[in-house]
Parts: sequence; structure tokens; C-alpha cells
Amino acid sequence: MLEIDMTSKGMDRLITHDAPLDMLVNGLLFGEGPLWSRADNCFYFVDILGDTIWKWTPGVGQQSVIQPSTKANGLTFDREGRLLVAGWGSRSIWCVEHDGSIVTLAAAHQGKKLNSPNDIVVASNGMIYFTDSPGALYNVGMAGEDVQQYLDFQGVFSISPDGKLDVVVEDTAYPNGLAFSPDEKLLYVNDSRLYHIRVFEVQAGGSLKPRGIFHELEGGEEGIADGMKVDSEGNVYTSGPGGIHVLDPSGKRLGRIRIPGHVTNMGWGDADWRSLYITTRSSVYRTRVQVPGVPVHAGGRA
Amino acid sequence: MKWVFERVAGPYKGALGGLAWDGSGMLFSAIDEGRILRHDPVNGKVAEFRRYTNRTNGLAIGGDGTLYGCQQASRRIVAFTRDGSMLPMEHLLDGKYHNQPNNLCVDAKGSIWFTDPHSELRSSGPQVFPPLEHASVLRLDKEAQRRLWDLRRVTYDTMAPRALAVTADGRTLYVAETDNRPGGLRELRAYVLADGEVNGACSVMHIFGEDHRGVHRGIEGMCLDAAGNLFACAGWSRSGPGPMIYVFAPGGEILGSHRVPGDLPMNCALGDPLLDSLYVTTGTGELYRVRNCGFNGLKA
Repeated sequence: MLEIDMTSKGMDRLITHDAPLDMLVNGLLFGEGPLWSRADNCFYFVDILGDTIWKWTPGVGQQSVIQPSTKANGLTFDREGRLLVAGWGSRSIWCVEHDGSIVTLAAAHQGKKLNSPNDIVVASNGMIYFTDSPGALYNVGMAGEDVQQYLDFQGVFSISPDGKLDVVVEDTAYPNGLAFSPDEKLLYVNDSRLYHIRVFEVQAGGSLKPRGIFHELEGGEEGIADGMKVDSEGNVYTSGPGGIHVLDPSGKRLGRIRIPGHVTNMGWGDADWRSLYITTRSSVYRTRVQVPGVPVHAGGRA
Repeated sequence: MKWVFERVAGPYKGALGGLAWDGSGMLFSAIDEGRILRHDPVNGKVAEFRRYTNRTNGLAIGGDGTLYGCQQASRRIVAFTRDGSMLPMEHLLDGKYHNQPNNLCVDAKGSIWFTDPHSELRSSGPQVFPPLEHASVLRLDKEAQRRLWDLRRVTYDTMAPRALAVTADGRTLYVAETDNRPGGLRELRAYVLADGEVNGACSVMHIFGEDHRGVHRGIEGMCLDAAGNLFACAGWSRSGPGPMIYVFAPGGEILGSHRVPGDLPMNCALGDPLLDSLYVTTGTGELYRVRNCGFNGLKA
């Protein structure tokens, strides 16, 4: 049985109290990077401190995909189904080609190394967006080879399909999770330090126009604005104090799904996209929702 | 001999910490600002050397010119290399992350000795790794064949080591055990070293007491001169004799005590072209200098 805080009546249309909460994986040091692969019918995730990209397959269980992972963080697939990685320790965005080789897509802005890419999404037109908070440079146990911060901002970047890196948001304090609205006209960006979600209009050409603060997180329990996903009706699911906070498209909180431990991120999955796979620092959980999530396009080595 | 303290920089926001003479300028940590600054004695100007240092405190320069620092908030020693990068020396002690290093020194062999006290300040990121059960002097040795660093524990009888110094002959390790809470131990200790290992019990060279106003703040930072005399930063205006630089002869005799302007002396180092000036940082954010202090630093 799930423990659900109902703030609004709209919440019971999204998730029911008898929804399961299955623990699929336990014993991680810092789980993150949740990603369902439609092609492989499996769930990818990372253990940042454990330095591994893992996958979990129904009926099979947990298998290592890449180890060491140079402290990989957020994962997604590009339009061709290649695994895209927010390289937290490597300070780069890298991609796993279908033949298994690894290609770096971006590592420096105007000659200066990136901070430490945290999470990553791809639009239908192939435009990549990623957050560049500096946590890997400072956090105990997350260091790569060089921990000097060179950029004087912690922002959001885009990489165009032809490989051009641009700053799209410069004034975030600690940008973390990010997710599109179902029509991809809006991009939501979490700020872990400021405990809020900002919303931007995606302009033609890929730049972002600020539309202000979408939601201020509430609650004194453990948990921050970290990972975030959007369902097919535009409701926003974000990690926050005490578990997963569910917000309607206007930014009003509908309720909260209480999760044991410290939620780091979540991703939609299974064939109907009605499963919510949840990473916490130590574990992977799965629950079921009523309204399907926005599918992750392509995915896997199909 | 009366020392004249001149303020050469500051006040900065929050405490200043470690110092290191780089041959032509004095590097010093602005701990709370997350910066390392450099004072040039020729023109008296201060320039930024590094930023985003995440509460780096103690500084020391190795024989090859590499600058090392105690990055307290990240619980590691880091190397600031000439190309501008910062290399984490995030080595584990028996598989565990150590505490928040405070001060360090590099010996003639290139080994890095550092104090590793517990801290009330939170380290960066998720609190996944608990502090060590002990607070000790630790040492990084570069293993010649593999060129990798090994981390080992040096002291087994410390609870709050904050400052240290190793004599040029490698035979004595001075450690300041400093717990400024009521009832805490505050003393200067000398350990005899044999082949880099502590040999026998330490000698206590000085004890800091308390008076009707409270405990006397113990040693926060120290350095040696070429003759083996030890300079120690201790005291505060709140109680006792006040903020002070003590000069100890190798046997423990006090050769001088000098009242520091400002409060909370943090660290000291000899600098300037003749290595005859003592630079002192304070917890109130100032960098002071005493010219012609009557002692000379060891030439690199």
C-alpha cells in the first residue's frame, strides 16, 4: 500500500492507494539515472558512488552495463536509440554508440571545462538539454580527475543535432532534473539549492524564454528538487521532501507519494508507460499510476 | 624583541587559513570565500590565485613546486597544478573516507602529513560516508614504483589534531591537539619519528589551560624556522593571555610571545625574499606581516 498525501481531489485520478510499491533493487550507494528502454524491455539506472550503469530486466534482475562509469548520472536515449549520459565525474556529455564505443558530445564551453552534467533530456527534433550543476566537483566520493570549477555559472546547456553547444539558462543556482511538457513547448528545470521549479518556453531554434517559477517545494522532510518527469496530461512529478510531489500543469500541488528513503529521480516505464520507476539513494522502487507518462522515444539497441 | 604587525590584506569575509610562500609571493586561503589569494611583497598587491576551493584551509608546497591544500568541505587533500586544474587526492584509509583535513606539511621525501580532525561543519553532498571513528594525523606517501599515493595513519593517541609540523631532519613530528570546548585537551606534543613511524609515546611540550573567563584557545596553525624553532598561533581575546604567536625552541622553552592584532590567529609562515618575515592569518579575516621577526625560514 502506498502512503499518499492528498492535497487535492485530482490526485486520486492519478494514483490509487492500493497501487503497489515494489522494491526491485537495494544496496546502492547513490541511485540515479532512471530510464526505461522500450526496445530492450528493461530499466536502466546508475549508482553514482558505486560507479556503475546498471540495468534491471523483469524476470532476470540486475546486471552491470558499464563499470566503471566515470560516475555517470542522468541517462536518456537520443532519436537513434543511443544511450546518452550526463557524465557527472567525466564533466562531459557522452553517448554509447550501437557498437558499444563511447563518443564525447560536449566537454567544454568557450574553452572551459563544464562543471558536472547532472541530468539530460532530448526533444523530438533531436535537441539535447542538460543541467550543469557542480556537485561532482565538491561532493565526497564523486570526484573525477579534475575538480576545479572553471565556469562562473551553474546553468543549462543545449546541444543541437549538428553538435553545437549553447548556454540556454545561466542564472540557476543548482540546476538538476529537467523535463518537457507533453507538447515540448515548455521545459521545466529543478533548482535543488533554491527548492523550486522554473518553467521556460522553448523557442524556435532551441533557446529558452523564462516564464518564472512554476512551483516552490514545501515540506521539512528529507528530499530536494532533484529528478523530475511529466505525464501525458502534463502533470509534473518531482522529487522533494518526503517523496514524490505531484503538481498539476498550473503548478498547484495535487499530492505527495511517500517513498522510504531519499528519492533522487524517477522514470516512466513498461509497455503502457504506466509504471513509475523510482530511484532513491539506496534502492529502485516501482509503482503504478493511472495516467501514462510521456514515453521515452526510441530506446535501446533495437 | 618587539614585533610590529602590519596588516597587508583584509579583512575578508570570514576566516583566513593556511599560508604558503611560493618563492616570490605569499599564498593564503580565504576559507569562507572559497578562494586562495596571493600577496606580492614587491608591490603590496593581492591577486586571486584560485577560486571555488570549497573551504580549502591548510596550504603547503612540495619540493617539486606543487601546491597542496586541505579541502575541508570535500574531505580530501587536493593538488593545485600549474595548468590551473585541481587534482583530488581522495584516498581511502582502510576503505573509508577520512574526516575534514585542517593543516598539512610536506616533508623532504615529498610525503604529505595532515591533521584530520572531526568537524561540526557539514561536508559537501549527500552524507553517505560517516566520519572516521578516530581523528588522527594521516600521511600520503608516493609509492615509487607504481607512482600512486598510499594513505596511512600516523598517530593513534590524538582526538582533535589541528596543526602539525615535521622537522627538516624528519625526526620529530609536532602535533597540536586542540579541543577548545570546555574540558577539552589543548596541548603541543612532540613525537619521535623513526623511519616515518611514531616511536613511543609523545612528549607534551606545552599545555593550554583556562581561567575565570574560560578555556584558553589552543594551537590552530604552526610552522618551523630553519633552526627548528616552532611558531604557533593560539589564543583569543575571550580569555587567557589573548591572541598570540608563541615561539618555542626545539626543547619547548618559550622564546617569545607576541600579541596579534585582530583575533583568532589561524596560521603562520615565513616569507619575503630573505624569509625573515612572519605572515599570520586570522579568524577575523586579516593577513598580517611582521618584518625582521628575528628568525629565518628554511630555504627551499
